[in-house]
Amino acid sequence: MRFSERFYHRILVTLTLVMSMTVSSFASIHEGGDAAKGEQLFKANCASCHKITNEVLAAPGLQGIDQRWAGKDALLVKWIQNPQAAAASGDAYVKGLVSTYVPQFGWMAGQAVSEAEIKDILAYVKKGPVGGGAKAAPTNECKTLEELKADAEKNEESDGFIWFIIVGVILAIIAVSAANISKSLKNAINEREGLPALPEVGYGKSIRGWMWKNRTFVSIVGLFLVCYFAVVGYSTLMDIGVYEGYTPTQPVWFSHSIHVCQNEVDCNYCHSSAAKSKHAGIPSVNVCMNCHKGINKGTITGEKEINKIYAAIGFDPTTKTYKTDYKEQPIEWNKVHNLPDHVYFNHSQHVTVGNIDCKQCHGPVEKYTVGHQATIDEINAQDPASVPGLIKLTKPTLTMGWCIECHNKAQIDLTSTEYYEEMHNRFKATGLGQRTIRDIMEDGEVTVREMGGWECGKCHY
Amino acid sequence: MNRPLYIITGLVATTMLFAACTVDPNAAGVEYMPDMYRSPAPEAYVDYGSNKHLDWTQQMKDAAGVTPVLSRKPVAGTIPYTGSALTAQFVMPYPLNNTPEDYERAATEIKTPIFATEKNIEKGKLIYTRMCMHCHGKEGHGDGAISRNGFIEGIPDYATKLKDLPEGKMYHTITYGKGLMGQHASQLNQLERWQVIEYVKCLQQGVSTPEYENGMLKLAAAAPAASDSTATN
Repeated sequence: MRFSERFYHRILVTLTLVMSMTVSSFASIHEGGDAAKGEQLFKANCASCHKITNEVLAAPGLQGIDQRWAGKDALLVKWIQNPQAAAASGDAYVKGLVSTYVPQFGWMAGQAVSEAEIKDILAYVKKGPVGGGAKAAPTNECKTLEELKADAEKNEESDGFIWFIIVGVILAIIAVSAANISKSLKNAINEREGLPALPEVGYGKSIRGWMWKNRTFVSIVGLFLVCYFAVVGYSTLMDIGVYEGYTPTQPVWFSHSIHVCQNEVDCNYCHSSAAKSKHAGIPSVNVCMNCHKGINKGTITGEKEINKIYAAIGFDPTTKTYKTDYKEQPIEWNKVHNLPDHVYFNHSQHVTVGNIDCKQCHGPVEKYTVGHQATIDEINAQDPASVPGLIKLTKPTLTMGWCIECHNKAQIDLTSTEYYEEMHNRFKATGLGQRTIRDIMEDGEVTVREMGGWECGKCHY
Repeated sequence: MNRPLYIITGLVATTMLFAACTVDPNAAGVEYMPDMYRSPAPEAYVDYGSNKHLDWTQQMKDAAGVTPVLSRKPVAGTIPYTGSALTAQFVMPYPLNNTPEDYERAATEIKTPIFATEKNIEKGKLIYTRMCMHCHGKEGHGDGAISRNGFIEGIPDYATKLKDLPEGKMYHTITYGKGLMGQHASQLNQLERWQVIEYVKCLQQGVSTPEYENGMLKLAAAAPAASDSTATN
């Protein structure tokens, strides 16, 4: 009797518990929402600042929000729809939030979401991604992820050339020692058999003797070597001052392919001074931080390379704050495109005034990892559709021949500035001017050369 | 017995010499006359005082008082010395601070000093495609490549969520950044910021290719497009 009573009691308690849970779940805003709908709403309205984990993005993470806001459903709705009004209500928890986060992140904008939508969002925050959560892997037309990974691994490897040399030296030592050993052995045998020891012949003399014995072979090889060194010597001399394909090492494994091709960041975003000044400019770390404040993990190298940016500027990716009293250290990039000191080149002249596409001179940068001086073949092989007005040239890049070849071919858009209109009017006024116009317009086109692009003083002064 | 030793040392020395010529990937190649290539005056991003090709030791640098010339911050309070009296207003410091209160103040206190001319808006559009499009999307719907690839999600749409965002707040945001968006003051000067805002104002109306009349924005075109964007809302 006692036993069954206890059993009955237990059932009753369980039932009440279940009942109360169901009732509370109907009452709480944290229960019963549609997580799939919530996911869409969250991505449209919240995801630019909040994560559903406890990670800080541009605002605190939302994990555990149902516990923190338990029993304050109306206030939470108000807080989301109009944060300032909710703060005015005087709730202690809200006051704490305001004093902790508003100085760092600013006020959250009031969100135009209804109570039902908030319910869906909160369900998503609690349950996480419902639709499998697997987002489509970023597609990259220029390089596949495997190719990028191979690039990153290549970056880790040391140069193999030095090992090649070391092995060569070891082999040479072995060969010389082996020759000595065989000579000593032969001497030992001769000594035992009572024969006279081999004569002490110098290396030079023995080599000369061998060469005389095989003179046909030696002369053919000799002729070949002379030709070979003549050709190599000539091409080496012709390569002086030609730095095509120069790819210096860089302190950060930065992939142009990921940034430009996959994420469509314009060249001018990072090299923003190319349109305004002589230098294209290497972006300072604050420009990196414009995106990498939120993007803490790379596609290929994870956190390793991005942490170098944070170390340079003193940023803590977990709290999303800049460290105070941190000695910032600029990243020491290596310059890729070097012109002699006696050459003046101005980017803005070419980019803004000349309206020349970056790829005309820099080639398919969207396929590069780190900076690389394009070869003329790479530039010519580009799809003309992707490079408006691509002029095909023959001389190696960054040589004077290449510059003046282009100045001879590139045409000027006479409507681009008022300058040409003004010059036209001045020329028209005099007889000499009219003759000049006739000379220039003889072939029906106006090239940079005809506008003074071949004057020495244009670039050398 | 000494001869092999000589030869071996000779071989090792030659290989080391070759190795020294070829291994350094940061040497571009042979120059005709290095003294005409390398400027004694510092050039941007290259400091031959710290360049390995000149092999300056730390003591030599200290003695000459040379520090590597890399990117440096301008002195606080610097005003660019460019332009004319007409453009002087664009180089003056921005009066508000990077605080939530000043962000609200920007809504009413900061007004654009430029007009919605064709020149300004077209320049703004060019700046938008270079500086904003990869996140905010081609037509400002927050669907740029970075958003599509899932790196930064939830970028607000100008035509719906930010339809009523005042220009002062836009200016404040470009200058100081907001949320995940960083400050773009180092990339855009003040005139460029206002020009891109003129174009964003068109995007707020749902117009991505504005039409012009006598060099000014055609206002009639904005009205039907605005009703379009509310229909999709």
